[in-house]
Amino acid sequence: MKRAGFYALLAVVMLYCAGPLAWQLITSIKLSGEIAVLPPLVSTNPTAAHYLSVFHDYSFARYILNSLIVAGSTTILSLLLGSICSFGLAKLRVPFASLVLAFILSVSMFPPIATVSPLYIIIRTLGLRDTLAALVMTHTVFSLPLTVWVLTNFFRTVPDDIYHAARIDGCRPFQVYWKIMLPLSLPAVFTTAILVFIFSWNEFLFALTFTSASARTVPVAIALFPGIHEMPWGEIAAASVIVTLPIILLVLLFQRKIVEGLTSGAVKG
Amino acid sequence: MKDKERGIRYVAPSLIVLTLVTVYPVLYVFYLSLHRKLLIFNISKFIALDNYLFLIRDERFWNALRNTAYFTGLSVALELLLGLGIAVLLNRSFRLKGASRAIVLIPWAIPTVVSARMWEMMFNTDFGVINYLLGVKINWLGSPFWAIHAAIFVDVWKTTPFVVILLTAGLQVIPRELYSAARIDGAGSWQMFRSVTLPLLLPVILVVLLFRTLDAFRVFDAVYVLTGGGPANSTETVSIYAYKVLFQTLQFGYGSALSLVVFFCTGSIGIFYIRLMTGRRT
Amino acid sequence: MRYLALLAVFVLIVVPNCSSEKSDSATRVRIVFKHGKISGDPEEFRLLLRHFERRNPGIAVRDETLPASTDEQHQFYVTNLEGGRADFDVFSMDVIWVPEFSRAGWLMDLSDMLPQEERLDFFPGPIRAVTFDNRIYAIPWYIDAGLLFYRKDILAKYGFKPPEKWDNLVSVSRALMSRDPGLYGFIWQGKQYEGLVCNALEFIWSNNGDIIDGDRLVINSGENIYALRFMRDLIYRYRVSPSLVTTATEEPCRHIFGKGKAVFMRNWPYAWNLFNAEDSPVKGKVGVTVLPSFKKGRSSSTLGGWQLGIYRHTKHPGEARKLIKFLISPESQKALSLAAGYNPVRKSLYRDRDLITKQPFLPGLFRVFMKARPRPVTPYYMMISQVLQPEFSAAITGIRSPAAALTSAQKQIGHILEAGHER
Repeated sequence: MKRAGFYALLAVVMLYCAGPLAWQLITSIKLSGEIAVLPPLVSTNPTAAHYLSVFHDYSFARYILNSLIVAGSTTILSLLLGSICSFGLAKLRVPFASLVLAFILSVSMFPPIATVSPLYIIIRTLGLRDTLAALVMTHTVFSLPLTVWVLTNFFRTVPDDIYHAARIDGCRPFQVYWKIMLPLSLPAVFTTAILVFIFSWNEFLFALTFTSASARTVPVAIALFPGIHEMPWGEIAAASVIVTLPIILLVLLFQRKIVEGLTSGAVKG
Repeated sequence: MKDKERGIRYVAPSLIVLTLVTVYPVLYVFYLSLHRKLLIFNISKFIALDNYLFLIRDERFWNALRNTAYFTGLSVALELLLGLGIAVLLNRSFRLKGASRAIVLIPWAIPTVVSARMWEMMFNTDFGVINYLLGVKINWLGSPFWAIHAAIFVDVWKTTPFVVILLTAGLQVIPRELYSAARIDGAGSWQMFRSVTLPLLLPVILVVLLFRTLDAFRVFDAVYVLTGGGPANSTETVSIYAYKVLFQTLQFGYGSALSLVVFFCTGSIGIFYIRLMTGRRT
Repeated sequence: MRYLALLAVFVLIVVPNCSSEKSDSATRVRIVFKHGKISGDPEEFRLLLRHFERRNPGIAVRDETLPASTDEQHQFYVTNLEGGRADFDVFSMDVIWVPEFSRAGWLMDLSDMLPQEERLDFFPGPIRAVTFDNRIYAIPWYIDAGLLFYRKDILAKYGFKPPEKWDNLVSVSRALMSRDPGLYGFIWQGKQYEGLVCNALEFIWSNNGDIIDGDRLVINSGENIYALRFMRDLIYRYRVSPSLVTTATEEPCRHIFGKGKAVFMRNWPYAWNLFNAEDSPVKGKVGVTVLPSFKKGRSSSTLGGWQLGIYRHTKHPGEARKLIKFLISPESQKALSLAAGYNPVRKSLYRDRDLITKQPFLPGLFRVFMKARPRPVTPYYMMISQVLQPEFSAAITGIRSPAAALTSAQKQIGHILEAGHER
């Protein structure tokens, strides 16, 4: 009896978490006429029209490519910069190391809205408006605190003896970082990569402000769907499914990694 | 080892970009906020604290601040309660535990913009599935009372997974023996929760509160897409107000003053929580 | 190594800023034309542009569609034009933006394109809206104005005539609603957005109120309070408007009315063609007339519609002018009217036989367009509207009394205009 109650409760939680996405999926294959009426809940005559229209009429392929480039480049840059910094903090002597780490962390508390107006002016002056580079730059910096925090914590768990032994063998510090620390830390690097990628893929405020046409990313495209007076709900649903699926796939495959990454530091610290 | 100066070289690149892209802009934003700056008409004039004097008398600002505070308080409280419940539920051992955990993560992974659009459709008065299932005709996003709560609901839905993850991790480090000891003392499950789980979870709860309060206070995307701040500005947060002033009409002076308010508020919240945490530790 | 390869790919793609356009022929000048989504079949509009290209073999036009709402389009233009390096040549503007964009120096002076005699063929409202400092900075493209749609069949069945006064509309609605409880009386656009300002101004003007009179701010007046209170009362006191109007934009209203669920609706002319489409449940049952007014006032419609302008720093001013000239020519205007239901800005077309046979209510629109009033013509309009939208919304949802909302609006707009005057 108690067990049945537990599973019932569990089912409710699962429905609460996954239900809305499932509904979006159902909506995306309904005919436009069916979307604006309920019932029926499920389409009697499923259609792929909205998916085709998203690519054909709204150039979503372009936006997806933009998002991939931005999120991919951000991930690489953030990990490169961040892992070097973490290596310095964890294994080398840095004056006021804890203060430096505290500063980097405090940056993660900066509200983006407080930096968006000057960044807009700077980006405009550099001639970077509506370029992917502008987004990569801001996303990289705003994801750095997370990268540095997770990786520093991980690097600290690698015994110092390994570092010293390698140094005595004649490795320069950078070689230790590149040839020993990074390979040893691949799991943590991978975890961080997923988190940074998701952050950049989902980011909205900067993408909305710094891009207008050629560098538009998917979230902005979804927020600013063109219609005349109406919302093309079928297309919006289809587009939502398209952008969400890769991320959901990442989550389902690497659930454990993501959980590790999000909790690292938060619980220990 | 003489790796001292090397260490700085490793840390420097990150520090420099962080300073250039976050610290410098915040100083710049302060400078902007002392000007009447209409980017469109090329008007830029130093007016000292005039923007701030107007801000104090600006009812729309106070309304936005009230909305933000209400939004933050209620959504963080609900997320914590709901997250705690789900974390405790998932902490038992059962089949399909891994799968259920992955499913719980779904709302967290969905882009905020997408989740706002999704709920916007489901909240639709005419053909929304929520009204259909409840058998009512409520104008969720059109009535000031419902709209702010709908926005809070969407935020809670989206961020509860994050709370669940952190609390689950916290639950897992609580030693099992403490529970068995309590059971021997004849404690019921509620008492165990109160006397074992809660106190040991408190540090993690504080961390959760810190992250979530900061995030909720600067909320932008979810509400911007869901309601755009309406109806009647009943869902307009300070971030949204600042954004509208900044980018719909390019009033960079007053907009900067507004966005600095968000900066100072989140800063104070951060300092408050960190004091609380370090205070507990010593 | 793999990272470096990826980075190289990234640099290759990003740095040249994705300019991978295939130019079909190097000799043609390509101009970019930005506009909002064209209603109806998008192919028809493309055909029109292809027609232009055939006539002007040296020019290729690429047209690009912008996001839905006028507020979002405004943000797009403002941020792109302000940066001084917009990548488009010709673009369409909402009637309320022209003074702002002219004052900002983003628009080319097009006065020579509309000599006095040509100007006489255009409706007066749009001409007023595109004139700034006695120069013309944009050419009207199509015109819109608020109308009252009503159900001919229902009114006839119970022996009512289309109302000319607002209180008349209320009593007719109430009478019909009591006979058919499933029916809404009057639906209009009350969401917090630009459309609400259009709707509210129609009530305000039809009560002899206004926002700005010459240089004077007259927003906090008894007439305006009365008009706003009446809008709120439509929902909460007379109950002829459902509370969903406080989130409604044009399309939800059109859908409700189109399904036959309302007697009266305020909307733009585009709805007419859709109501008379083959599969429309209300085909042949819809009438259209001017909006009602209050006892002392006169019926007033807010002027809408879009204008074409040329980016000041375009590299191809000659070609851009040719495109505009083509789009405002009587043939193109006629074609666009037939394809998308966009109403011509040229008065002479309202006597065109073909057009009248296909769009029989066009002559009726003529007098509405002649009298349609522009929203305050000032470079600061968008800032003013940003104040009006939430205040009007607060007044009609009952969060604030109309008097308090207008007092607050007067204070804020005063601040904006004061700042604008000092320079």
